[in-house]
Amino acid sequence: MDNKKKYFHSVTLSRDKCVGCTRCVRVCPTEAIRVRNQKAIIEPSKCIDCGQCIDVCPTNAITIKHDSLKDLKRYKYNLAIISASYAGQFSEDIGHEKALRALYHIGFDDVAEQAMITHITAEIIRDYIRIHPKIRPILSSSCPATVRLIQVRFPSLLTNLLHIESPMSILAKYYRDKIVKEKRIKPEEIGIFLIVPSAAQVTAVHQPEGTYKHLHDGAIAISEVYTKVMDNIKRLEKDEREIVSYANGLSWALAGQEAEEIAADDIKTLAVCGIHNVIDILSNIESHRLDQYDYIELRNCPQGCVGGSLNVENPFVAENRIRSMVKSSQKKNIDDDYFFNLYREGYFDVMPLEPRSIMELDKDFKKAISKMKKVKEIVAELPGLDCGVCGSPTCKALAEDIAKGEARLEDCIIRSRRQKKQDKG
Amino acid sequence: MPGSEAVKSNKPEFWDIDQDVDDNKSFILKPPEPELVMDYEVEARNYAKAGKASTDIKLTLKKLGVDPVILRKAAIACYEAEINVVAHSKGGKIFAYIYDDRVLIKLVDDGPGIKNIDQAMLPGFSTADELAREMGFGAGLGLPNIKKNCDAMYITSSLGSNTILAFIIFFTPPES
Repeated sequence: MDNKKKYFHSVTLSRDKCVGCTRCVRVCPTEAIRVRNQKAIIEPSKCIDCGQCIDVCPTNAITIKHDSLKDLKRYKYNLAIISASYAGQFSEDIGHEKALRALYHIGFDDVAEQAMITHITAEIIRDYIRIHPKIRPILSSSCPATVRLIQVRFPSLLTNLLHIESPMSILAKYYRDKIVKEKRIKPEEIGIFLIVPSAAQVTAVHQPEGTYKHLHDGAIAISEVYTKVMDNIKRLEKDEREIVSYANGLSWALAGQEAEEIAADDIKTLAVCGIHNVIDILSNIESHRLDQYDYIELRNCPQGCVGGSLNVENPFVAENRIRSMVKSSQKKNIDDDYFFNLYREGYFDVMPLEPRSIMELDKDFKKAISKMKKVKEIVAELPGLDCGVCGSPTCKALAEDIAKGEARLEDCIIRSRRQKKQDKG
Repeated sequence: MPGSEAVKSNKPEFWDIDQDVDDNKSFILKPPEPELVMDYEVEARNYAKAGKASTDIKLTLKKLGVDPVILRKAAIACYEAEINVVAHSKGGKIFAYIYDDRVLIKLVDDGPGIKNIDQAMLPGFSTADELAREMGFGAGLGLPNIKKNCDAMYITSSLGSNTILAFIIFFTPPES
C-alpha cells in the first residue's frame, strides 16, 4: 500500500491465546482493536501502545515485546539509563544504592539515572515556556503514550507539545559523547539501554517521534532487570563500589510532580493522569477551554510511571517508597549549566511532530459526508447498548465499521435477536 | 468573512455580516438543504452536562476531516454558544447543518430573551447569575468570542421572546 517502514509496536497480540472476549476492544482509548472471526486484531495505525488492553486480557494474549539483557552481548560497553520508577521496586532492606550497584553485576559497565537531570529538565522546560508565550497551554511530552495519543486523536494540538528531547534521551545523547571521549570507544560499540516501566517507553525507543538521530539501542523491562538483580543480590555483599545517587530527582516517577516542579510565579501548571482523564482534558484544550494554563503534565498511567505495567511493585507502595527517598535525600545536581547551554544551542531540539490521524471516515470530504450519513442511519438501527459483543467497541463504532465496509449489520446479535422476536410476535 | 468587521445594520438583529456578502445573510435566514443535520437538546442550568453537544459536533467535524485550525474555531464557538443557553435561558436546542464547504450552527432557546443585544456583544458585559459565576463562567466573553471565531453571525432576541443565534464557519482555512 505505502512503502513507509512498518511502525514498531511493543504491544503484541498472540492470536493463539486470544479467545475473542472483547475486553480489550472496550478499553482501548483509540478504538484500535476489533474482534473479527473470534480473534482480536490491533490496527497498527491507531495503536498508541498505552497498555490498557494488556491489563484486562484474561488469557495473557497481549504482551509487551521488549529487549533483553542478552542483547548486551552485542556491544563492547553497555550503559543502563534507568527510569525513576525503578527505585520504587525494591524493599527498604535492599535500598536504592544496592539496586543501582546490582546493575554492574548483571552486565552493565555504567549506570545513569533519569533522576540526575530532573531539576535541569524543569529549568529547561520553564525557559521553553517563557520563550514561547504564544503557545498556551504547552503540553508535556514526557509520556510517550500521551504524545502518540495526541498524534492519533488530537492532531490540532501537536504544535502545543513541548518540542524538546525527553530526559532519558537527553542523557543518552550526553553519555554517548562522554563515553566516546573518556573511554575511547567507538560510538557503535556502545550499547545504551533504557530500563523502562511501560510499553510506550519501549515503543519510544524503537519508533522514536521527532528525534534527529538514533539515541538508544534498546529498552529492557524493569521487571526483567528486577528478577536478575534479585538473583544476584547475595553477590553484592562484598561489593563496595561507591554509588552516587540522585534520589532528590526521583519524584518525576510520580504523577503530578513534574507539574509541581515546573510551576513558578509566572507559570501556572496542571497535572492529569490516567488515559481517559487525559482524553477529557485534551478535548477541553482543543476547545480552548484551558488556555489559562501555561503547562500541562499528561501521563498515561494512573499513578504516573510507577503505574506502568512493566513494574513489579504495587504502584502505591512504589510511590510511598519514592516519596520517602526524595524527602530524606540531599540535593545533588550534575552540571546544570552544561546541560542548559546544550539546550540553548539546540542540541535537544526535536523535529515538528507529525499527525497520525485516523479520525476521518474518508480522505475525500464528500465521501466522508456520505459515510457519515450512512453512520447516522445505521446508528438508528442499533440498540445503543455498547456491549461490544459484535467485536466493535460501541454501537457507533460498529456503524462506522459498517459504513467503511468492514462489518455487517448482522454482526449485532442483539438486533438480530430482537428482530426474530418481532417476527414471531 | 475573514477580516470583516461587525456591521451594525439598521436591523439590530444582524451582526458580523458583511454588507457585501448578502449571501451569508440569506444563507442563515433561509438555509438550503444540508448534507447532514444534527440536533441536540440543551438543559437549562445543567452545568455537569454542558458541552456535550459541542463536543459531539466537534467529533463529527473531526471524522469528516475538517482542518485542525477550523476545527478548534468551531469547537470554541459551539461551546460558548451552548454555555450561553445553559447559563441564561430556559433551555433550548442546537442544530448543526453541515454542507460541503461550511457548517451552520443554530441555537434556538425558550426565552427569556436578551434585553439589549448591543450590550451583550460588548466584551466583559454579563448578566450571568451567581451559579454561573461560581462555575467559572460569566466573564462576558460569550458572544464576542463566538463572533471572533466564526465567519458570519446572526442573532435576534428581545425581552420576553426567545433568542435565535446562528453562525457560519467555512471549512477552507483563510489564506494567510
